[in-house]
Amino acid sequence: MINLAARDIAHSKGKFITTALGVGMLIGVVLIMIGVYRGMVHDAMIVPNDIGPDLWVVQKDTLGPFAENSRLHEDLKYSLKGFLGVKDVYPLTFQSLQIHQGVKPIRVYALGYEAGGGFEPFTLIEGRAIAITHREIIVDKNTGFKLNDQIKLGRNIYTVVGMTRKAVSSGGDPMIYLDLSEAQELQFLFSNEQIRNDRARGGNGGSTDTVNTFAITLQSGFEPESVAKEIRRWKHQEVYTAQEQSGILTKNLIERSAKQIGMFTVILLIVSSVIISLIIYTMTMGKIKEIAILKLIGASNFIIIKMIALQSLLLGIMAFIGGNLFAHASANLFPKTVILIPTDALKLFVVVIIVSILASLSGIRSALRIEPATAIGG
Amino acid sequence: MRELVIAVEKISKTYGSGESAVTAIKEATFEIYSGETVALLGPSGSGKTTLITMIGCITEPTTGKLTLNGNLMYEGGWKVNDTRQIRREKIGFIFQTHNLIPFLNVLENVTLIPQMNGIKKSEADQKAKDLLDYLGVGDKITKFPSHLSGGQSQRVAIARSLANNPKIILADEPTAALDADRALSVMRLLKKLSIEQEVAIVVVTHDERMLPLFDRILRVEDGYVQEIIQQHTTEYSQE
Repeated sequence: MINLAARDIAHSKGKFITTALGVGMLIGVVLIMIGVYRGMVHDAMIVPNDIGPDLWVVQKDTLGPFAENSRLHEDLKYSLKGFLGVKDVYPLTFQSLQIHQGVKPIRVYALGYEAGGGFEPFTLIEGRAIAITHREIIVDKNTGFKLNDQIKLGRNIYTVVGMTRKAVSSGGDPMIYLDLSEAQELQFLFSNEQIRNDRARGGNGGSTDTVNTFAITLQSGFEPESVAKEIRRWKHQEVYTAQEQSGILTKNLIERSAKQIGMFTVILLIVSSVIISLIIYTMTMGKIKEIAILKLIGASNFIIIKMIALQSLLLGIMAFIGGNLFAHASANLFPKTVILIPTDALKLFVVVIIVSILASLSGIRSALRIEPATAIGG
Repeated sequence: MRELVIAVEKISKTYGSGESAVTAIKEATFEIYSGETVALLGPSGSGKTTLITMIGCITEPTTGKLTLNGNLMYEGGWKVNDTRQIRREKIGFIFQTHNLIPFLNVLENVTLIPQMNGIKKSEADQKAKDLLDYLGVGDKITKFPSHLSGGQSQRVAIARSLANNPKIILADEPTAALDADRALSVMRLLKKLSIEQEVAIVVVTHDERMLPLFDRILRVEDGYVQEIIQQHTTEYSQE
């Protein structure tokens, strides 16, 4: 039996391909939106994964250090080391900064760690780790800086000694890495005037012995939950396992953004289905005469339904292919990470197929109402 | 021996209801046999198209009885048999304009109905090629309708109407879009087919010059159908 859908498409290839590309771009945008969400989740987990602790100790009653502010005394490190099962304790600071590359301002996320101790919460692609704790800095390639560039942070000038690639914060800002003492100075050291004022008020003049969190690794055989429970009990601080921290990041921190993206995705899918529906309806209405002829010469409803549904499906499939190509071609042009994974594409493919079938219903309904007499003007 | 292929008995068609009701055909009764060519003649709006669409099972009669090739199709305003099947298997249609499917080429247009009837593609293709050769458009099989002249398109339409070996061909002003010479040639061709293939051919026409080619003429006027002339001719053989 002649495939009427394929013949019709072949006869008006240009029109069909243009339409499919148009719908495909919409589908591509849906894929990109999903990719943006995946990118957000991925970005949010880069720093925690690079640090890779079993436990996070943060200020009591906070969701720190990524979702909320957290301040802890640095010397807590020593008592944390005394807990049964604790292998290593790494004091860390985090802060957002705005630095300048020439006249261009760049938002960065600074991580302070104890340099030189063998703990390196990053993967270098160039240069070396911070060797001497004196004004050396590691930056991500996305900042635009190169090895040996000079960067002014606070009151001091730092030299770039190492580079990372695609290391970003949960907000998508490129990372920079400093020695802990310098990062503490940057975050907690007040100006001389402020120190003087604080002393006059009876304060301590601004101690910098503060960190935002402790990353703890455990000896093998110890359950993170049980060690966390002991630290909570004896040190009165909040302790999160790696899994809980991941939950805080993906649920609490980016949940609203994810919902926002989800809403956009749903709206785009609805728009796509309305457009596919309208296109199929218009294509069907453009063939009233042909459908009437088919009915007149005795074509069954099945043949007519098959023709319209197949065209709708082919439109959906071609649009999906076009959309995928568009999404992959443009994903790297976005300033933030866009991650396109085959599973999402597969799910979207199923949705596109369902939408295409549903979209063909209005066209099929109209086609079935066409009277065969229309073919002879009756 | 001629078979009765169209039996129309007190058939009527009324559009609308109540005071606005219009009766297009009023209790028409006639019979048409295989191999006959019958003209439906009448002024515009007289009900010719309504009548031919009722015979073709496209329009349902309001009352009366219609039997096609021995199959009772309508009785008392009710559909009795599968009308699409009878159209697909027993009737060939030719329209004023060729009404070919624009996205199918000539061969596909002609083989579509046989393939819908379950005929194998190779067999349908061969039959279509033979018909197109016979009608003088055998060299156009890969062309699309938009690349054919009016006369060529109408010949392809005739080939399509014959592709399912119909018992009945219904033609609604098949020559209206053709010049006089081509119109006469098409009508002669139909006449020839009716005799050679024993097909009953009913043609709606305005063109009185064609009338000598028909065996019988039914005049439709104000919804009434009346047989006005009966004649026998072999004029097609004068070609």
